[in-house]
Amino acid sequence: MGDSMSTIINATTTNGVVIQPDNSGSLVLQTNNGTTALTIDTSQRAAFVAGTAALPAITTTGDTNTGIFFSAADTIDFTEGGTACGQFDSSANFKFNSGYGSVATAYGCRAWVNFNGTGTVAIRGSANVTSITDNGTGDYTVNFTTAMPDVNYSVVQSANYNQTTTKINSSLIRTQSTSACSISPHADNATTQFDCEIVTMAIFR
Amino acid sequence: MKKRIVYQNDEGGISIIVPAGECGLTIEEIAVKDVPQGKAYHIVDVSEIPTDRTFRNAWTWQ
Repeated sequence: MGDSMSTIINATTTNGVVIQPDNSGSLVLQTNNGTTALTIDTSQRAAFVAGTAALPAITTTGDTNTGIFFSAADTIDFTEGGTACGQFDSSANFKFNSGYGSVATAYGCRAWVNFNGTGTVAIRGSANVTSITDNGTGDYTVNFTTAMPDVNYSVVQSANYNQTTTKINSSLIRTQSTSACSISPHADNATTQFDCEIVTMAIFR
Repeated sequence: MKKRIVYQNDEGGISIIVPAGECGLTIEEIAVKDVPQGKAYHIVDVSEIPTDRTFRNAWTWQ
């Protein structure tokens, strides 16, 4: 279809329209200026043009500045309203805006848990956690489903003790390994460990 | 899960493993994974664990 003729293909059977390349090559769809828009190769893979934030390669009818494009090698980009909003870069980093002000790398929460450390100790909710270990008063270990790559992760934790006279003002990290992290909520005097009704912990890496 | 895993810890007390319901492992698989290697353990019903934790550090397993 390299000439100026336009060809309209109509379905004439109940099977719809079937377009087949010859036995040797890919199916290539071009726009009327001869630019390749889509290639379906002999392995049945569809390859689109790279596109841009304003004109993404994969989009939808009626909202053509929103979709997926490819700004560089080994990179997948997302755009909304013609503005880039997310990316998986060539180092497998996930970047998004989400109110940050620019598309920047997001660092994931790799595990979290919320549990009751009093009475019948029980987990309320969690992710990437197989269990907690109650080692004694105010002494808990959180066991990860998938281990951390090293021990250099950040532990964010908080605890609530249900007495107005005692305030939990620190929750110490007792031990930190790739497979588990042990914590101890402490009160004002920082020497006594307390069982707490609400204990939460999140791991960032 | 209504089960708990109990083992004696190195401080002379007992540790009690509380499974996460959403983890996708059975209680036996959690025991294999989270009980320190070489420690004997018992899988018990949660009703066997006292809820009064006043003397938690003095608990023993018999």
